[in-house]
Amino acid sequence: MRTFFQYTGVAAVIIILACPALHAQNSLEISGGYNINIPTSSFKDYISHPGYKGFNVGLAYPINDQLRVGLSFGYNDFYQKYPRQVYHNGSGSDISAVVSNSVQQLPVLLGVNYTLVKKGFIRPYVGAGTGINIATLDQYLGEFDDPHTRVKWAVKGEAGFYIPLSSTSTTAIKVGGSYNYMPYNSDGVKNLDTWGIEAGVRFPIH
Amino acid sequence: MKKIGWLTGGALLMIITLGSCRKDPLNNLTNDESRIYISNYDTTANFSSYTTFSIADSVDVIENNQLTGRERSSFDSTVLTTIGSILQQRGYQKVSRESSPDLAIAVSRVYNTSTGVFSYGDYWDYYGGYWDPYYWGYGGFGYYPPYYAVGVYSITNGGMEIDALDLKNASAHGNKITAIWTGLARGEQTFQTANAAAEVQALFDQSAYFKH
Repeated sequence: MRTFFQYTGVAAVIIILACPALHAQNSLEISGGYNINIPTSSFKDYISHPGYKGFNVGLAYPINDQLRVGLSFGYNDFYQKYPRQVYHNGSGSDISAVVSNSVQQLPVLLGVNYTLVKKGFIRPYVGAGTGINIATLDQYLGEFDDPHTRVKWAVKGEAGFYIPLSSTSTTAIKVGGSYNYMPYNSDGVKNLDTWGIEAGVRFPIH
Repeated sequence: MKKIGWLTGGALLMIITLGSCRKDPLNNLTNDESRIYISNYDTTANFSSYTTFSIADSVDVIENNQLTGRERSSFDSTVLTTIGSILQQRGYQKVSRESSPDLAIAVSRVYNTSTGVFSYGDYWDYYGGYWDPYYWGYGGFGYYPPYYAVGVYSITNGGMEIDALDLKNASAHGNKITAIWTGLARGEQTFQTANAAAEVQALFDQSAYFKH
């Protein structure tokens, strides 16, 4: 948790420092997108199927033409059903069940995004964020489940490119990928790390 | 800043609403897939040391922790017959309860509308001795579970329970009739006659050690 507060603190400081610029430019931006997340690391042992129900929305403050800070909310749904199998617990107890694993992630991240070039049809960017991941794990043995919801630390790194839709505004299509580091360390699951593919749009609010 | 608050709240509300798009695993399960089969056995028991068994002629019906009666429905009859067939296939000899069987087989239908952690210990605390030991010719003896086992499953419907009781060693165990094996089937349509044989078969299939 100490690391979580360190990263979140750094992100908060960046946003506080950005406030004067925000007032100066008064060009708050909102973004939204669809994303597909692919489990990786030990999360694959729990669910290996990609999550096709992924959405994100965010608010960003442009500090200048290239640097933005903001807050984002995400939602990702993962599900996988395994064929019936007998599970042995080693003490004389055996359970035959169809196991279904269901995971929902709700990351809330403070982040920064930096566009590498100011002009051009395609403008590459890199970004990072940190915050919390509200995760619900629900494992079904047959129809009997045992859900757990926990709040954990999360870190996101991303890269991609913007395609501006106007030469006079910051409206743009966003296409990119991300790595989502989401330690869990509960309920027998070490982490909920994923690779993400995202497509969305960003536009200013006046 | 007020605008930012509204936008942030709206974004969060939108995400929570999208969260209702969660794929419900229960909608993707057949009735067969909804059922689970749990078996427990006494790891110190030597199953090949028993040669005979007897099966009760009806099943206990337990509702909300109360023994409400004994019945023999078509489901019960199929369960009892299937158990007898499987145990005979596995080398045990079926005898009457008056013939001093080594094992007694008891079947229960347990209905419980509460939810919580399922515990074999509780099961036996509540219902232990549901068959009077006199029934098996062991008057004055007590029932004991093989060990304290806990299942982390919600009990939202009924279950079919099979117990194999050690009569052969009851005296040697200090007048204790110990269960050396228990089987439990739970899930959708557990008590359908058409599913009875498959449920019993599943419990014994995962208990290959249960043979003479």
